[in-house]
Amino acid sequence: MSRPAFRFISPSLQWGMIGLVAIALSLWQAGLFQQTVVNLNGFPLLWRFVAASVHPDLSYDLLATTLQASLVTLAYAVCGTFLSVTIGAIAGVFCSEVWWLEVLRAKRLRYFGFHSVRAILAFPRAIHELIWGLFFLNIWGLDPLVAVAAIAIPFGAITAKVFSEILDETPRQPLLTLINSGVAPITAFFYTLLPQAFLNLLSYSFYRFECSIRSAAVLGIIGAGGLGYEILLSLQSLRYEQLWTFFYALLILNGGVDIASATLRHQLGCASRIDLNSHRPTKRNIPNRRIFSLFPIAIAGVALSFWYIQPDLSKIGSPRSQQLLNQIVQTSLPPNFTGMAELIPLSVETVAMSVLAIAIAASGGLLLAFPAAQIFLPGGLLNRRGKANLFPPVLLAVARIMLLLCRAIPAPIWSLVVLYILFPGILPGAIGLGLHNLGILGRLFAEVTENLEQPPLKALSAGGTPDSLVFLYGVLPATMPRFLAYTLYRWEVCMRETVIVGLVGAGGLGRLLTEQLSSFDYQSLIVTLGAFLALTFLVDWISGRVRRSLRSS
Amino acid sequence: MAGRGSAPTPIARMSSDPIISVDRATLQFGQFTALTDISLHIAAGERVALVGSSGAGKSTLIRLLNGTLEPTRGEIQAFGQKLHQLKPKQHRQIQRQIGTIYQQLHLVDSLRVIHNVNAGQLGRWSFLKALISLIVPLDVATATQALAQVGIPEKLYDRTDRLSGGQQQRVAIARVLVQNPMVILADEPISSLDRELSREVMEILCNCQSSQTLIVSLHDVDIALRYCDRMIGLRRGRILFDAPTTAVSSEMIADLYRL
Repeated sequence: MSRPAFRFISPSLQWGMIGLVAIALSLWQAGLFQQTVVNLNGFPLLWRFVAASVHPDLSYDLLATTLQASLVTLAYAVCGTFLSVTIGAIAGVFCSEVWWLEVLRAKRLRYFGFHSVRAILAFPRAIHELIWGLFFLNIWGLDPLVAVAAIAIPFGAITAKVFSEILDETPRQPLLTLINSGVAPITAFFYTLLPQAFLNLLSYSFYRFECSIRSAAVLGIIGAGGLGYEILLSLQSLRYEQLWTFFYALLILNGGVDIASATLRHQLGCASRIDLNSHRPTKRNIPNRRIFSLFPIAIAGVALSFWYIQPDLSKIGSPRSQQLLNQIVQTSLPPNFTGMAELIPLSVETVAMSVLAIAIAASGGLLLAFPAAQIFLPGGLLNRRGKANLFPPVLLAVARIMLLLCRAIPAPIWSLVVLYILFPGILPGAIGLGLHNLGILGRLFAEVTENLEQPPLKALSAGGTPDSLVFLYGVLPATMPRFLAYTLYRWEVCMRETVIVGLVGAGGLGRLLTEQLSSFDYQSLIVTLGAFLALTFLVDWISGRVRRSLRSS
Repeated sequence: MAGRGSAPTPIARMSSDPIISVDRATLQFGQFTALTDISLHIAAGERVALVGSSGAGKSTLIRLLNGTLEPTRGEIQAFGQKLHQLKPKQHRQIQRQIGTIYQQLHLVDSLRVIHNVNAGQLGRWSFLKALISLIVPLDVATATQALAQVGIPEKLYDRTDRLSGGQQQRVAIARVLVQNPMVILADEPISSLDRELSREVMEILCNCQSSQTLIVSLHDVDIALRYCDRMIGLRRGRILFDAPTTAVSSEMIADLYRL
């Protein structure tokens, strides 16, 4: 980089080229240039699947099943979110830098304590909900408790990390001001940091709820019940009409939660996910006090959900569970390293799958995000003159429904559908993951576009710049850095999610993990898990590095 | 928590000794020297103005005086005690007697005014009382009185970010009034205010009890001459002059702002 001849290569160009090379290598790894990947015989089956979308099974019995399954999924999500936010709120404070530096004032131990708490939390976070689910399944058997705990533990650790980041990036001066006027640090914490960060914490909790509902659907696949389970059953028995009924139910559930969450966040004036860390002063639409009226509703919802799914809490401490846990711990030691040689090609497969998935998700998301944002609507950003035209609203609706469909259906289900026309391998897994994440990324991109700062764009427009150039000179440059940051974050998630498409045989470490888990081969499992964790941390590190270097350029 | 019967020692000593004294303090941020060889003694009840162009080190000196920053060399004494050799608890007790109004105010925007004002007396409250007060405001009378003193008693229950800049400045002052410290440090308290408001704010600060010491950094020399009885001129991190306001000549001022 320091060599003058290469100075014209900006970091973004450099990383862009590395990214393209990575995608090409991953495609090669997927066997795209070496063998036939498309199975032409599967097209009739795919057509039957697609054709069933227009006549879903609307019989009374199936609708009743659908409603019940939807309620179960929703209840899992509510309970999971409640527990993960509780865990996150407590652990988040204890792993924030500001707590160690300013509140505890721990001088010598501070870095040791701070980093060890953070490091411990990295482990539950790196393991996907599904692996947790399969693990708890082996201890507790089929019980709603499995689904709730499988969501609560990894999500709790993620929430803790994000909460601690929010606290750390909240302006610290008011806190220091109070501490420096002799107020006890803990009191100062409650009077300054907490009220300042509260809205962002709340906003993130809503976002977590959106993630929980998707996760609850995936967990159904391992037998936890709910919509995911019903979908898998219908898919395996080739009953496409039923399948689409469940798909539509998922669509409504996801769409409803997403809209409710987005509306609430908008009403509270709190930032979107990534803006949490930038702290632009926000304008609030409703007074602070009305937030608190939400709390009784939330508590009632949580209580109702727990009552509906009836998790058997006695299993947590029961002797039988203890015994099984001890057994697992004992049988997993010593680790069995004989399969080590196999892990290297599987690791390469896993990374290749995640790279392809994020490439599909980002390019697809980019294509759908702009039509899905309100900027082309009459009176919107790029259609100021307000020409009443039917085309933009229709385009918007189509783009939004496509995004919703993509993200509402779990990645393994997409993979199974793709498997009709592709031969098994990492490509169907990557496409399944890619399609699911496309829906998520596209929505986030559209949100970024709608929340753009208007004044610079209006200034361009006022100078007589045509809308197309406003898009090129105003919208694109302002949105691209955020799109990239979201994409890199999402790549980390894709890496973890390779596990769930591994479940349906897409390959990589995920398949090995799920195989070893269900065959109780804990000695090998622990080695595979170690490799997977190392890979996850590697991807996090690369993504973090790229994000930093892009931010500073 | 440690509020009851706080700090009898510092108050007992203050009558004869200087209330704050700085002895040959130098402060460096890495390579950059912000303050060089500062020595000064301030007695109880003095009204001291810190003047100088921006970047001269006024804010840094104020943060040194309230114990936020630690000098690289030299030492600071407040109420006869060396500020940086105290245990955290004693340090807090001393800091409770030094109230600071910051240039950027550092209020908590999302809280109501009363909580920001009450923040001044949190040092004397127990943790539990502080927590309860966040839900049901306690000690409303004290807060109301302080707000009345700065002229905005009706804003008690407003959200702080709904107030104008000048009103927020008053909330910051009310917070310090409630803290009721021996020494008030104010960093450019009138920099963003118009002339009328500037006069009012200076009146409020100077009309505190006569035993209270005021150290205020100002960019407006006329205001300093009018309200303070001593002026310390800072230039590039050094004390250029330290004299009673009556003895400050226009040459000294011109020298201060010379590039």
